[in-house]
Amino acid sequence: MALILAMLLSSAAAQEQVPVPPLKARVTDLAGMLKPEQQAALEKTLQAHEEKTGNQVAILLLNSTAPEVIEQYGIRVAEAWKLGRKGIDDGVILIIAKDNPRDLRRMRLEVGRGAEGVITDAMSKRILQDVIAPHFRSNDFYAGLHAGVAAIHALLNQEPFPAVASKADEQKNHASWPLGAFGLFFFLMILFISHRKRGLRSDGWGRSSGVYIGGSSGGWSSSGGGSDTGGFSGGGGDFGGGGASGDW
Amino acid sequence: MKKLFKWLVMAACASMLTACGYNDFQSRDEASKAAWSEVVNQYQRRADLIPNLVNTVKGYAAHEKETLEAVTKARSAATSFQITPEVLNNPDAFAKFQKVQGELSSALSRLMAVSERYPDLKASQNFRDLQSQLEGTENRIAVARQRYIKTIESYNVLTRQFPSNLTAMMFGYKVKPSFTVENEKEISTAPKVDFGSRK
Repeated sequence: MALILAMLLSSAAAQEQVPVPPLKARVTDLAGMLKPEQQAALEKTLQAHEEKTGNQVAILLLNSTAPEVIEQYGIRVAEAWKLGRKGIDDGVILIIAKDNPRDLRRMRLEVGRGAEGVITDAMSKRILQDVIAPHFRSNDFYAGLHAGVAAIHALLNQEPFPAVASKADEQKNHASWPLGAFGLFFFLMILFISHRKRGLRSDGWGRSSGVYIGGSSGGWSSSGGGSDTGGFSGGGGDFGGGGASGDW
Repeated sequence: MKKLFKWLVMAACASMLTACGYNDFQSRDEASKAAWSEVVNQYQRRADLIPNLVNTVKGYAAHEKETLEAVTKARSAATSFQITPEVLNNPDAFAKFQKVQGELSSALSRLMAVSERYPDLKASQNFRDLQSQLEGTENRIAVARQRYIKTIESYNVLTRQFPSNLTAMMFGYKVKPSFTVENEKEISTAPKVDFGSRK
C-alpha cells in the first residue's frame, strides 16, 4: 500500500512543471556548470552590452525542464522575466538544460520580437549548433557560453535599436498621466461653475466644489517613483516564440 | 432639483453599464481579435516558407514526388481558405480552418521525415536554415495558439457569467470558438522517423 502511494506521489511530482526561477542576475546557474569567476565574467560582459545598447541578454542554466520540452519552458521564462525594453522587445535568453533527454532538447535561444530581425531563427540555430555546441561537446561550458554571447552581441550590434533612454526621459514619462487627471478635473470644475451661474444656491454648490478641489489634488501626488535599486530586472519586453533549439 | 435628478440618472446608467460589463466586452472582444490575427499571421508565415522548402528538397530528392506534391496541394488548400474576421464568430468556419492547417502540418511532417533519408540534403546549409525557420515558425504558431486560448477564455467567461451574459445577449456577443485537439490519441503518440536501411 505504501509502495503504491509512493509511486503515485512520485508520478505526480514528475508531472509538475519546473518553476521559472526568479530573475535576480543576468546569469542564473542552477546546474553548477560555471565556476564563480566564470559566472562573474559573463555577468560583466552582459551588463556592459546592456549599458551600451539597452538590449537585455540573459543566461539560464538548469538541470532539466522535464516534463516540458525546452520551448514550452522557454516561453514561460520569457513571459515571466520580460527581458528587453518595453515596446522595443530586444531581449534574448539562452537556456541550457543539461540533463534533458534528447527529445526535450538541451539548448534554446529564446529571442524577443524586436531582436528577431537580426537573430533570426536560422542564425539562432547556427549559434547553437556551430558556435556553442562544439565547445559543449568537449565539456567546456564557459568557452561555449562566452562564444555564444559574443555571437549574440555581434548580431545585436547590427540592428539599429533605439538608444538607451536617459533617466531624464523616464521622468518625463512619469509626469504625463497626472496631466490627464488634471484635465478631467478642470473640465468637471467648469461644469460645476456653469451650474452655479444658472442661479442655484451659490453657497451650497460652492462648498461642494471646494470639497472636490481638495479631494482631487490629494489624489495624484504619488506618481514618478520608478526606483532603480541596481538589481537586474526585465524591461517589459515581449517574446513571440522565435529563436531556435538544439543539442550538442 | 430636476438638474440634479438628471445627473443622478446619468450616473446610475453609467455605473450599470460598467457593472454589466459592456466596456469589458469591448476590450476583450478587441483582445480576441488581436490574438486571432496573431495566430493567422503565424500560420501565414509557415505557408510562406513552404515553396522555398519544396524547391530545396526537390534539388536533392526529386523522385519523392508524391510527398512534395502532397505538401504543395495542402499548402494551396490552406492559403485559399479565406480568413475573414467572421471565421472567429463561426464555429464551422473555425473548425474548417483548423482542419486545413492540420492537414498542412501532417504533409509537412511527412516531408521532413522523408528528408531525413537524404544525407546530402540534410547537410545543405540552405536546408538547415529552412528547417530552423520552419521549427521557429511552428513554435511561434504554438505560442500564438496558447495566447489565443487564454484570451478567448477570459472573453468566454464574461459571455457566460451572470449578469454580463445578459449584456452579451443584448449586444449579440457569442461564445468564440477555441482550438481543439482533433484526434488526441493520434497526437499523443509521436510520429516515428524511420531511418531504415537507406543510411
